[in-house]
Amino acid sequence: MIIQLKDINKTYPGVVPLHVLKDINLEIDRGELVAIMGASGSGKSTLLNILGILDNYDSGEYHLDGVLIKNLSENRAAELRNRLIGFVFQSFNLISYKNAVENVALPLFYQGVSRRKRNALAMEQLERMGLADRAHHLPGELSGGQKQRVAIARALITKPSIILADEPTGALDSTTSHDVMNLFRELNAEGMTIIIVTHDPGVGAATNRIIRISDGRIVPDEPIITDIKPQIIV
Amino acid sequence: MFDLINEIGQTIRNNKLRTGLTGFAVAWGIFMLIILLGLSRGVMSGFEESSSKRDLNTINVWRGVTSMPYKGYNKGRQIKLKASNVNDLNTSHNKYISKATAYNYIDSAKVSGPKDYVSGGITGMPPESARDQWIDVFAGRFINQADMDNQRKVIVLSRKTAKTIFGSDSTDVIGKHVKSLGLAWTVIGLYTREWNEDESFVPFTTAVALSGGDPAIWSIKVFTDNVTDEASGLAAEDAIRGELAKIHQFDPNDHSAAPMNNRFLNYLQSKEGMKILDYVVWVIGILTMVSGIIGVSNIMFVSVRERTHEIGIRRAIGAKRRNILTQIILESVAITTIFGYLGVVMGTIVMQILDMLFGSGSQGRSPFGTLSVDLNIALKVTVVLIIAGALAGLFPALKATKVKPVEALRDE
Repeated sequence: MIIQLKDINKTYPGVVPLHVLKDINLEIDRGELVAIMGASGSGKSTLLNILGILDNYDSGEYHLDGVLIKNLSENRAAELRNRLIGFVFQSFNLISYKNAVENVALPLFYQGVSRRKRNALAMEQLERMGLADRAHHLPGELSGGQKQRVAIARALITKPSIILADEPTGALDSTTSHDVMNLFRELNAEGMTIIIVTHDPGVGAATNRIIRISDGRIVPDEPIITDIKPQIIV
Repeated sequence: MFDLINEIGQTIRNNKLRTGLTGFAVAWGIFMLIILLGLSRGVMSGFEESSSKRDLNTINVWRGVTSMPYKGYNKGRQIKLKASNVNDLNTSHNKYISKATAYNYIDSAKVSGPKDYVSGGITGMPPESARDQWIDVFAGRFINQADMDNQRKVIVLSRKTAKTIFGSDSTDVIGKHVKSLGLAWTVIGLYTREWNEDESFVPFTTAVALSGGDPAIWSIKVFTDNVTDEASGLAAEDAIRGELAKIHQFDPNDHSAAPMNNRFLNYLQSKEGMKILDYVVWVIGILTMVSGIIGVSNIMFVSVRERTHEIGIRRAIGAKRRNILTQIILESVAITTIFGYLGVVMGTIVMQILDMLFGSGSQGRSPFGTLSVDLNIALKVTVVLIIAGALAGLFPALKATKVKPVEALRDE
């Protein structure tokens, strides 16, 4: 079990405190391809932030790859993010003045990996994404799908335990979306645990398990559809 | 380290105009600091050069008027210095008094040669005065101690006088005779001076003897010994006043009876003044620079604000607070140091030009000595730059570390 959430609660303080996550219990096994779905305001983004160690929770316990993620110092959190999690964002979040290789290599920079080594590893990832010829292009010179593949390469470069993708296809047209989802499935087939937050049913259908979240709670009666061959539209 | 430099290089290249404008403010600040420091150092070195040309260990005493009653004398009595006082001081065996000298002017005297005469007057002088009166003897010699001891009738003429009365200012004038006060004088030397070349100089003792008796003199110059600081400088004044008080019967504490000008104390005072000038210049320079630094700080704030999203990305993929902090601070240090150095270089070039135009090497009289930027200043400025850059970057950098990845990523 790579992710284990036990009675997670999260309230945003304010004049009217907002109880966004209510007693969340969730387990995700190594090698799963999971979609977290829900309407906007349902708490799925907050859940993603907690899973990604970008935000704290108030009570409960969260274990990621055997590590208890609770009351971490900023530095420790940064370290665990760097080591355990690969992020893929809706808006790609590439650094605009760095070329593809540099963007992909950036997580290794914060690990203190030498320039030569991390550029070699970054090239490897880009080749895997079929972007070797775009390695020295700036993000502005790449198409949306290419940008997202660069972002995925960046997420993979630290060999993380999980990939967290936040609406990874939200900014892409449908063809490119399918390409990206296929890429995720391929990675999943190689054993990578992938969690995708989305409100797009098509994306949800391309995963092996859908966790629905509504009003801060996980909807309990969702069947696990591992026995149904997921539909991939190519 | 190379990576960090590369990162900084990328962000600076990414914001060329902004960086350039900020950098200009810093460069300008440093440039002004360098110029101000250079000029004030120039004034100082000019001061040192001119003081080194003169004897510092001298005290001049003038005639004065008593301000205190003493032994039955009323106050308000004139104290007239006499030629014999010079000898009195010389035989006083005071540890502060090395030697006393004086002039004796015979204003009315004409000096005549084979061609013409001049009426600039003759002055009885001690040998020491050549240096002190900026007298530059270019032919023959100046009055010496033997002339003094033997009251020789020898005379030193200016180039101008020699030209007038002999029609020649060449060395063959030396050894010839001129007439003055009804006596024949042997010319022993020719001098030039930057001002007043009307005087002719004879030994002080000869002039005194010619005046008859014990003529009044205007002032006595005392060369001091053992004067090393303010206290001993004042003690030397007291010693001279004490000696004169004994001779002329006035209160030894009566300063106005024998007014003095202590060159050593003046020197100390001016030096103190120069030090203050130096401080003031540093303060002005640094304040000028501060405005540049605030500019850098401001720009770094803007830059942090603009890059909130980028910082959020970096934090999300594993940058620690320390990484962000060092990057912003080093960026600021890089901007200040690079442009600061540009200012140093420009300042140095301008100082070189100023030195050529106005420095001691240039033509004409100048208040400056050598105008230059010394290594010491450059080093100090470097240290100031790095510290200033770090300070300018510190607050923006601290703000950057407060960027929460979640909020930064939500920005989009």
